[in-house]
Amino acid sequence: MTSVTAAPRGAEGKAKSVEDDLPLQTDSSGRARQTTLFVLRKLGLFVLTLWAAVTVNFILPRLMPGTPADAALAKLAQNGPVSDATKAAIEAQLGVPTGNIFEQYVSYLHQVITLDFGVSYTFYPQTVAELVSTALPYTLVLVGAVTIIAFILGTLLGVLAAWKRGTWLDALPTLAGSFASAFPYFWTALLLLFFAGYVWRLFPTSGAYGPTATPNLSFAFLGDALYHAFLPALTILITSLGGWILGMRNTMISTLGDDYVTFAEANGLKPRVVALRYAARNAILPNLTSFGLALGGVVGGSILVERVFGYPGVGYLLFNAVTNQDYPLMQALFLMITLSVLVANFLVDILYGVLDPRTRR
Amino acid sequence: MTETVLEVTDLDVDYNTGEDATHAVRHVSFTLEQGEFVGLVGESGSGKSTLGFAIAGLSKPPAVVTRGRILFDGRDIASMSREELREQRHGGVAMVLQSGMNALNPVRSIRNHFRDIFEAHGHVDKRHWDARAAEIVGKVELPPQVLDRYPGELSGGMRQRVSIALALSLEPQLMVFDEPTTALDVLVQHAVMNTIIELQKRENFTALLISHDLGIVLESAQRVLVMHEGEIVEDATARQILKKPKDDYTKMLLSHYADPRGEVVELPGFEDRAARAKTGAKRADAAAHPPTVSPRERRTDQKAIVVEDLVKVYPPPRRGEREVRAVDGVSFTLEPGASLALVGASGSGKSTIAKLITAVEKPTSGSVKFGDLDVGKLRRGQFRSLHRDVQMVFQDPYSALNPLHTVEYTLTRPVANFTKLRGQDARRRVLELLDIVGLSPVEEFAAKLPHQLSGGQRQRVVIARALASDPQVIIADEPVSMLDVSLRAGVLALLEDLREQWGVSMLYITHDLLSARLVTDNIMVLNHGKVVERGDTAEVLRHPKDEYTVKLLDAIPNPRKVA
Repeated sequence: MTSVTAAPRGAEGKAKSVEDDLPLQTDSSGRARQTTLFVLRKLGLFVLTLWAAVTVNFILPRLMPGTPADAALAKLAQNGPVSDATKAAIEAQLGVPTGNIFEQYVSYLHQVITLDFGVSYTFYPQTVAELVSTALPYTLVLVGAVTIIAFILGTLLGVLAAWKRGTWLDALPTLAGSFASAFPYFWTALLLLFFAGYVWRLFPTSGAYGPTATPNLSFAFLGDALYHAFLPALTILITSLGGWILGMRNTMISTLGDDYVTFAEANGLKPRVVALRYAARNAILPNLTSFGLALGGVVGGSILVERVFGYPGVGYLLFNAVTNQDYPLMQALFLMITLSVLVANFLVDILYGVLDPRTRR
Repeated sequence: MTETVLEVTDLDVDYNTGEDATHAVRHVSFTLEQGEFVGLVGESGSGKSTLGFAIAGLSKPPAVVTRGRILFDGRDIASMSREELREQRHGGVAMVLQSGMNALNPVRSIRNHFRDIFEAHGHVDKRHWDARAAEIVGKVELPPQVLDRYPGELSGGMRQRVSIALALSLEPQLMVFDEPTTALDVLVQHAVMNTIIELQKRENFTALLISHDLGIVLESAQRVLVMHEGEIVEDATARQILKKPKDDYTKMLLSHYADPRGEVVELPGFEDRAARAKTGAKRADAAAHPPTVSPRERRTDQKAIVVEDLVKVYPPPRRGEREVRAVDGVSFTLEPGASLALVGASGSGKSTIAKLITAVEKPTSGSVKFGDLDVGKLRRGQFRSLHRDVQMVFQDPYSALNPLHTVEYTLTRPVANFTKLRGQDARRRVLELLDIVGLSPVEEFAAKLPHQLSGGQRQRVVIARALASDPQVIIADEPVSMLDVSLRAGVLALLEDLREQWGVSMLYITHDLLSARLVTDNIMVLNHGKVVERGDTAEVLRHPKDEYTVKLLDAIPNPRKVA
C-alpha cells in the first residue's frame, strides 16, 4: 500500500463559516409579513371552503326529483284524491321554486347571508333562525366548553403519565381513562341519570333550567343552568377524557425519546422545563388535529347526550328535525354543522401557526 | 504539566432486557488529561456510544452501569443523583449528539435554546444573555442572525454547529462528541470537523471524539482508544496506531483505508483494478469460490443506457425561492458490462439521475434511452419492461427490507413478477440468488427475517432482490455508505463479481471516492447538477483537474495524512 503525502491540514484555507448559502437575510419585518400572509392564506381557504359547502348544501336537495310540496302531496294522495284547494294550500305553505336555477341560487345565497332559513314544519310558526339561535348557546356552552376542558385536562394528565411513566401517576389515569372511554356515551349518561338524578336526587334529570326560571343573564339563572348542565357535562368529560390522556401520553413518550429531549437533559435544563417546553410542547402538535375534529363535532355530535338528558341544544333540535322530516330546520342545522367544522379547522390551523414555526411558511 | 480530568475504572455497562443482559461495555479503564483530544473508535455495536453516554451521565434504562467508577473532578458520575448531575453540567461534561440535526427543539428559536441553558444554570447575568449567545455562535463561525432562526430554517451543518455552540455555552471541562459529523454531507463534514479541532485548541477543553471512522479520528485526535465488542483493545497515540498498531482488530480497521489518489488502490480481498486488468485475472476471491450456478447465456442482446442533455428542474421548495435545477444538461453512455461512477456531494443531482433512469421521475428536457426504449416517455403500464432490465440497490439496507417478511418471501416477489418461474422452480431461483450474493447456507438464510441479519447481509439480500429479474443494468445508490468499514470490501467485491461474471453493467452513485476507485472504470463528477469532470476513474482521481474534484478529495479523512 502506498502512502501519499497530502497537503497539510489547513492548506485549503480556513473552513468556510456557512458552508451552504442558506437565506439568512429575512429580517423581523419579513417575518411579520410572513405571519400576515399565513393568516390571510388560511382565511382565504376558509372562505373558499365555506362557499363550496354552502353551494353543495344548495345543490343536493335539487338533485332529488320533485319539490317538498310534491313529496307532501304524494303522501296525501295515498289516502285518496287531493283537492285543488289542499294542493294550493300545501304549495303555498312549502313554496314552489320560481325562476331559473341561477336566480334560485342568488336568492338562496341572500337568504343564507341574512340567516333567513324559513319556517320550521315541526315548531310552526317559529322560524328556523329563532329555533337555532335559542338552541345554539346551550350546546356551545355545554359541549364546547366541556370539549375544551376535557382536552386541556386530558393533555395535562397525559403529560404527567408519560413523564412519570411506570408509576401510579401513569397507571391510574391511563387505566381509568381507557376504562371510562370504553363505555358507550349513552350508557354512562343513563347510569349517571339513574344514580345522581333518580336514586340520590342530587341533580335534575332533564332540561337546561328549572321550570320556574326564565332565561336571562342573572346569576340566579346562570347558576340554575350550570346545575342542570352538570350531569350531561360530566358524561361528556368522562367519555372523552380517556382518549386525550392516551393520545397525549403516547405522543409524549415518543417525543421523550427524541434527540432534542436528550440534548436538553445533557445541557442540564431543569426537569420541568424539559418536560414542558421540550417534550410536551412538541407532543401536543399531532393532538391538535384531533382537537380540531372534536371541536368541529361539537354542534353535531351531541345528539345522544342531549336526547338522554332532554337538553334543549342543537343535537336535540336535530333529532326532532329528522324524526319529523322538518326539511328547513334540517338544512339550516346541516349548514351549522358544516360551518362549525370549518370554523374549528380554521382556528386549529391558526393555532398550529402559533405553536409550530414550521407551518408558517 | 497535566492534570487528570476523567478517570474511568473497570466500567461495565449492561443492557438489562429481561433474563439475558447484554454486556455493552466491559472492564473499560482509561483516563483523560486536561486539554487532550482523544478519539474513541469502533464499529457499530462496539459499545462506544454507550460508553459516551455513561461518561456524560446520560445512561438511561435499559442501559445500567453495573460496575466500576467514572471519576470526573473527583466525583463519581455513575453514582450521582439526578439533580447533582444536572448541576454539574455547567462547567462539567457536555455532550454533542450524533444526529445533531435533530438535537434542537423544532418549535423553539435558537435564541431560546441559549436562554434555556442560561436560565437553568444562572452562570450568565440576564442582561448579557443575548450578547453571550451571539459571542458563542460566533465561535462556531455562525453569524448572530441564526439566533432568530428556528432549527427547521437551518441546514444540517448549521444545526450541528448550533449544537456545538450550545454545549460550549455550558463552559464544559470535557466535551464528548458522539459521531458529530456522521449525518452530514462530505464537504460540510470536513468544515465542521475543522471547526471542532480549532475550537478545541482555542478553548482548551478536553475532547472525546466518538466515531466509527478511524480516518476522522486519526486526523483530529492525539490519542486513540479502539473499542471492539465492549472492550478497549488499544489505547495509544495516533502516530503509534498508524505506524505500529498492536491489536489485530486495529490492524484490520486500518487495512480498510486506502487513498483513492494512490497509484495502486486495494483493500483486503480486493486487488487493484489496473493490476488485474494487466494480468487479465478476475478477482482472486471469485476464482476461488466459483458460483454453483452456470452463468446465463442470453447476453448478446445487451443494451446501453444513453443519456442525452438531461435536465430536471424541481419547483421552488418554498414560496418566493428559486426553482431547483437538480440535473443540468448531463450526457453520458453506459455501455453493456461497463461500470460508471457518479460522484458529488449531496445536492449534486446524482440521485436524481438514478430516479430519471429508473423512470421514477420524468425529465424536464433531454432524454434517457435504454436500447430503443425512451425511458422519459414511458407510461405507468410500461415500467415493467424497463424494470426487468434496470434495477436499483438502495443506500439503506435497514429500511429497504420489509421487517415482516422472510428473505425468501422478499426474493420470491420479484421472481414471480418478472419471470415465469413458479412454485419449486421459483424457490430454486431464490436459493440460487442467495448463493450468488454469497449468503450460504442458502436454506438457512432464506428462512431468516431482516432483523436477524447484519447490515452487510441485508445489503446482500437487497442486491439479490435486484438480481431477481436477471437485469442488465444495476444502479447502486451509495450501497456501502451505511455499512461498517470492515463489511464494505465484501459488498464491493460482490458488485465487482456480478459485473465480471454476469456482464451486468453498473451505475455506481457515491460520495465515497475510494469505493468508486475500486469498482468503476469511468467516473463523472457532478456539482450542482452539472458534470464538472469526467474520464478514467484512476486518472481523474490521481490527477484531478477541476477545483471541485480537488475539494472532494481533500475532504476524505485519511489516516495517512498524519504520517
